[in-house]
Amino acid sequence: MTGRLTALLDTLLPGDGGDWPAAGAHGLAVHAARLADDMPGGAEAMAGVLDALPKGFVDLPQLRREEFLHEIEAQDAARFDAVITAAYNAYYTDPAIRDIIERLTGYPNRPPQPEGYVLDPFDESLLDAVKARGPIWRLVD
Amino acid sequence: MTQTADIVIVGAGAAGLAFAWAAVAPNIKVVVLEAGGHVNQRVAPSLASDWELALQTTFNANPNLRRGVADYPVDDSESVIRPAIFNAVGGSTIRWGAHFPRLRPSDFRKRTLDGVAADWPVSYKDLEPFYDLNDEIMGVSGLAGDPGNPPRATRSCPPLPLCPATRRLAAAYDRLGWHWWPSDAAILSRARGTRGACNNCGPCGVGCPRHARASADIAYLGVAQAQGVELRSGAVVTKLERLGHDITDVHYVDANGPARLSCGEVVMAGNALGNARLLTGIIDNPLFGCGLMLHPTAIVTGLFKQNQQSWRGAFASALVSQEFYESDESRGFIGGLQLQALRGQGPLTTALGGYGLRLPWGQRHKEDFVARFGHSLSLTVTCDDLPEGPNRIALHATQTDRHGLPVPRMIYRVGENSQKMLDYGIKRASEALREAGARQIAINPLVRNGGFHLMGTARMGVDDQAGVTDARGRVHGMNNLSVVDASTFVTAAAVNPTPTLQAIALRAGTAMRDGKITQRAIA
Ligand SMILES: Cc1cc2nc3c(=O)[nH]c(=O)nc-3n(C[C@H](O)[C@H](O)[C@H](O)COP(=O)(O)OP(=O)(O)OC[C@H]3O[C@@H](n4cnc5c(N)ncnc54)[C@H](O)[C@@H]3O)c2cc1C
Ligand code: SF4
Repeated sequence: MTGRLTALLDTLLPGDGGDWPAAGAHGLAVHAARLADDMPGGAEAMAGVLDALPKGFVDLPQLRREEFLHEIEAQDAARFDAVITAAYNAYYTDPAIRDIIERLTGYPNRPPQPEGYVLDPFDESLLDAVKARGPIWRLVD
Repeated sequence: MTQTADIVIVGAGAAGLAFAWAAVAPNIKVVVLEAGGHVNQRVAPSLASDWELALQTTFNANPNLRRGVADYPVDDSESVIRPAIFNAVGGSTIRWGAHFPRLRPSDFRKRTLDGVAADWPVSYKDLEPFYDLNDEIMGVSGLAGDPGNPPRATRSCPPLPLCPATRRLAAAYDRLGWHWWPSDAAILSRARGTRGACNNCGPCGVGCPRHARASADIAYLGVAQAQGVELRSGAVVTKLERLGHDITDVHYVDANGPARLSCGEVVMAGNALGNARLLTGIIDNPLFGCGLMLHPTAIVTGLFKQNQQSWRGAFASALVSQEFYESDESRGFIGGLQLQALRGQGPLTTALGGYGLRLPWGQRHKEDFVARFGHSLSLTVTCDDLPEGPNRIALHATQTDRHGLPVPRMIYRVGENSQKMLDYGIKRASEALREAGARQIAINPLVRNGGFHLMGTARMGVDDQAGVTDARGRVHGMNNLSVVDASTFVTAAAVNPTPTLQAIALRAGTAMRDGKITQRAIA
């Protein structure tokens, strides 16, 4: 089952041959399955999608696998949605992936708190133009 | 523990705690019953790297998915918009964005000015002192002088800053000649007492460990308790006992089992869904439950070529444009809309779409992620919904929750006028974002998870023909029953409702305290 899940994850989140690894090859199958278990109906959705994969899915090329997954998605979008959520959850909370995100985007690989970011002062001069246009609310009695 | 109270309040959310603070006095015993427990925001999920998972679990805004101990199921099978509420001490403000606008004077006069819905039995002027009082207690950052609204007092702290993306948007509004103004936010930009200043971290929706973001528990509970208000948390009200035109007792269940509280006045602040479970069968006015307004919302997202690092800063409180707020017949609909800027989200929420659209899986995924994460800025199109006949909250005929209370049904479709407004707003939002330099626009035409503003199902009116309650929330035809939350709204306006519902609660609580209590509990 892990091999099929790995192939499924690799199809949903393939690598780009450069910065980004594929989700399955990155070893996220166990984590994704656990995160699916945590979601209401997630375990059933994951099992259902894995069952629906055709024989030999793991050996198919990416494009062919994508075609099969589009068919499975069309059959039961809600079920497939749960699997995508589990896959994205595993990928985007993984520390090594977060390192890549930090390197590529500047989003620090740390929690938002307690550090946060600098809170600059508001620059009131930005409002000169809008102030000059005057009131736009309706007066009532 | 005392089993009598002069005033029993159902719900310790934004309205209930504001009401409690205003109504309590040395000779008035006030007890608040709240189904949920306390949420310790000092240990909010944003202190951990996987904080975004909490948005799907413990902080999921949809009670049907969150399934916490205090949550009751909501039947949303007949609604295009799903419920977004939080059941805890602090209510839905535990989960909110703290965007803090006021209604405009014209919102209270829709019938007179636009010939639709009804006029409120209160005016902006009546509520103004209570808006001011509430601002002071919640702690509001912002700037007086907004030409889109009547003059108001200096805000308690300066506005939250713009970020690179919102600066672009502000400049675009200026080029288009449209109104914009930094949002009033119930977020401290300067420390006050035990509450720290905002440090721009971003995800306010999972709670603020610095207590910079006000929630009803942080802003009101302590000061209310200091004056003698008693809170019973984990106490689910299961029944109001009615004798003639009085409610004599409130039944509830807590960790110690079933209990009963004999009461002088009963004040409902459970939001429109929570109230419906207890008031159906008690209020026999045919208007009760009808005219549900939800602020149908579209989200238009602009993607910029350069990384804007738009994950920085309070997600929902940056700036607003109210250029299209007042009615203008030439637009083909009645009422208006607000464009509220939303910053970018964390990496996982960006991939899952958040309030926008999920990124596609497969080979395009990474490319789309890189193009979007930190590069996006969104505008909500918040519409002035009308109280339309078929939209309502009713009760399920057979389904009940674990306490035997009926499951509320949300019945809602987007009306023709609101749909026209959404379509118009999507065009204007796209225009603004393009002018700001967005090279791609993504549109979510209706936020399905957007049932955060539950308004109108117990609307105010001068008499029982015009409304369920009077201007102070007292239910017509009952001696000691009030409703003080957004259920009493007569019109929706095009802005987030919490400052207004809290002003209503403060006004009603003050009136009750100042000698207008007709009933006292019989010990
Ligand atoms: C994700 C999200 C974002 C939001 N952002 C904003 C924003 O930026 N600006 C804004 O103005 N508004 C916002 N809101 C809406 C805002 O939170 C609500 O308008 C406000 O909290 C409503 O106050 P209330 O007191 O009427 O109800 P609530 O705050 O929902 O409180 C009702 C309380 O009553 C309790 N209750 C219900 N039934 C019972 C019972 N039988 N027994 C005991 N207790 C009961 C519930 O447990 C709950 O705690 C947002 C909401 C959400 C979910
Ligand atoms: S952005 Fe500011 S108000 Fe929001 S959670 Fe972070 S520190 Fe608190």
